[in-house]
Amino acid sequence: MGLLAGRTALVTGGSRGLGRAICVALAREGAAVAFNYSKDEEAAAETLRGIEACGVRGWSFKVSVLDRVGMQALVKQVEKDAGKIDILVNNAGIGQVVPLALMEEEDWDRVMDTNVKGAFIATKAVLRGMVREKRGRILNIGSLAGVKMMQAPVHYSAAKAALKGFTEALAKEIGRYGITVNCLAPGVLDEGVSGNLPAARRDEYLRHCALGRLGTCEEVADFAAMLVSDRNSFMNGATVVLDGGV
Amino acid sequence: MDCQSCAPPELRKDKPHTFLLHEPTTCGTCGVGLEGRVVLRGADAVMLKLCTTCGPSEAVLSTDAEGYLAAFLARGERPAGATGDHLFKHTTSTCPKCLTLVPAEVVIRADSRVYFRKDCATCGPSEALVSEDAAYYVRAYAFARAGTEPLKFAAEVEHGCPTDCGTCNDHEQHTCLPIIEVTDHCNLECPICIVNNQYSNHIEVATFGSIIDTLIRNEGQCESVALSGGEPTSHPKILELIAAAQRPEIGRVVVITNGLRLGKDRDFARALKASGCYVGLQLDGFTADTHEKIRGRDLVAEKDAALAALKELDIPTQLIFVATRGVNEHQIGQVVELFLREDHILSLNFQPAAFTGLGGGAFAHDPMDRLTIPGVIKAIAAQTNGALRYEDFFPLPCSHPQCVSLTYLLRLDDGRHLPFARFVDFKRYGTLLRSSATLPATAEMESTLQDLMYDVFSQQDDIPEAPAVLAALKRALGVMFPERQLSPQQAITIGERQAKSIFLHHYMDRHDFDLERLRKCCHHYPQIDGRIMPACGFNMFHRGAAKGKDTQLAPWGRKPWTTGGDGQIRLSVVT
Repeated sequence: MGLLAGRTALVTGGSRGLGRAICVALAREGAAVAFNYSKDEEAAAETLRGIEACGVRGWSFKVSVLDRVGMQALVKQVEKDAGKIDILVNNAGIGQVVPLALMEEEDWDRVMDTNVKGAFIATKAVLRGMVREKRGRILNIGSLAGVKMMQAPVHYSAAKAALKGFTEALAKEIGRYGITVNCLAPGVLDEGVSGNLPAARRDEYLRHCALGRLGTCEEVADFAAMLVSDRNSFMNGATVVLDGGV
Repeated sequence: MDCQSCAPPELRKDKPHTFLLHEPTTCGTCGVGLEGRVVLRGADAVMLKLCTTCGPSEAVLSTDAEGYLAAFLARGERPAGATGDHLFKHTTSTCPKCLTLVPAEVVIRADSRVYFRKDCATCGPSEALVSEDAAYYVRAYAFARAGTEPLKFAAEVEHGCPTDCGTCNDHEQHTCLPIIEVTDHCNLECPICIVNNQYSNHIEVATFGSIIDTLIRNEGQCESVALSGGEPTSHPKILELIAAAQRPEIGRVVVITNGLRLGKDRDFARALKASGCYVGLQLDGFTADTHEKIRGRDLVAEKDAALAALKELDIPTQLIFVATRGVNEHQIGQVVELFLREDHILSLNFQPAAFTGLGGGAFAHDPMDRLTIPGVIKAIAAQTNGALRYEDFFPLPCSHPQCVSLTYLLRLDDGRHLPFARFVDFKRYGTLLRSSATLPATAEMESTLQDLMYDVFSQQDDIPEAPAVLAALKRALGVMFPERQLSPQQAITIGERQAKSIFLHHYMDRHDFDLERLRKCCHHYPQIDGRIMPACGFNMFHRGAAKGKDTQLAPWGRKPWTTGGDGQIRLSVVT
């Protein structure tokens, strides 16, 4: 029996990259998995197939994480079908390699909205059920760029640092309801948001990484599955760095 | 229960147990009969005994406190088809004729009411109605919570309750509300009056100050101090007394008044407003006949004048309504309507009539058919068109749960008020069930309101008006806990505009006196000799008017301060 047998999870931004890997990892551990995505229907279908291949139920919703009403409807639908949502992984996020000098206000807003406001909207939507159940696991996908000084876009680093604060304040506020909130901060991975990094920056990372390689989405996803399982019951408000040793 | 509305928790400590009830027992050493005190301590139910010969002792009744409580509550279920009286428990009451303490059987009858059955060796048997709803009465025990100890007790345990009063370290609750009687002069002679005005004395300001000193020494802080009488506004130095009570350790000073001077002397009303005190206005009805029966004459115009002054000057007000069977119970809805309509009226206190005192002791009544707390709640529900329901009210665990019932009403943003019970399980929120008339802005209250908000948030599909409740809670949290320090007075002032409260407090008399209730009384009369006297014990045994004029004092009774014919105060003044 998997670590998450009988649980239901919602992963935001689950159609591609790390989001997809997390969906499949959770499914492999026995959780029924719902995810949302905003654009790529073909990729979403592939994720859904990956979930269902694990023998669990999957749901796929084409809803932006910034669509409050849509996210609430998504949550209601999953709760209606599965009874409850036990796990939320706030994964949806975007990056953009641009120096501050060239960064437009719209760039800033887009990155901050998707990475931070999206987590707020998804969390508020699932929180009602978790408080009712007096149980829940919320995992925010942060970034090493939000924890350490790195050569990374300012708005992206700021957004990921905001998620760390979001994690800590929320963990304090809702711990009394048996809900844990943690943040997983990966280093540079070989696909997903990191895939857009210029080669020079990837090389710089490799120079500083003790393991001398980039991480994989599967490595992060497997660890995420453990973090939201009952095996990880006392961690709360923590930001865990997974970076190969930088 | 820790009264954090009255003082920070680090100042006063909880009792090490939850006082539950009194039961007859025997001294384990000499075998003499005693009235034991059953408390829940940790996982145990324990009988605490005080033998005047052998001293204190205790015996474990059960190692399953929860099971003991459940079994006790089950005793309150009258078996289906039962005939005759169903014995629920025992306590100690008083003979209504000679006022001697006598054993009482607490019985539930087929009419689902609770009665005391007593038998005085001198005067013979008697009975008295205690509660009009046995289910409420029994369930109230489930609300019992540990009391809080004062920093300093005013008396030592020697002979036991009530003779050592007060209060001694066997008393189960500190002083939540001190009521200081500042004069025994009055401008009315009310047929229902529960005191014993001798028209002999106005308290000296310095003596009053020494009482405040004693309170602060014993209690640390007090959320409220009430000035009563007599009619306190007949005291020539009432404004000086108010000023003397306004110390940093005291949250609010409340002047309990019939309102006559307030209504006719606008300069005085303005001075009261300027003093920052609160007013507890006696208002028992709206028609000449009700006033005549309860207060001795038609007061309609004078009460209207007092209400107008309070409204015009926006003086924070509590209404006090003595509810009396067959006299004014039909006007209960009207006073609730007034209370809900006016922003400056913060709380409403119903007092089912107690037949004690110079007036009340002789007031015509039937001890078997009188208003009790459940009867008043039923009248509120019946006369308010659904604004309030029977289920909106809960026993207050701070005092003995049979003494006080209350509800809080959250002020919605559109000006309406919604009882908290409509959206919260009161039993889970002990913080709300306090003797405080308003929501104090304490750290514990912040946590409670936040919990409450999450409860409503998570169940909003099932809660009527959930969005309005959430908006009101958001407003309350915002103003009560801003990102700046509030003084204790500011915290009270802001909190009291977020919610209103209705309290029902049933003072006892010679018919329904219950020593068990007295044990946890938290409304106390501080005396100039340093005693802090639980109100009903004082009225019954010390005031000298439990049956009206010429009531004989109990052997241990000590009258309040009066100046005798020689002009001397009878009791020594505390130093």
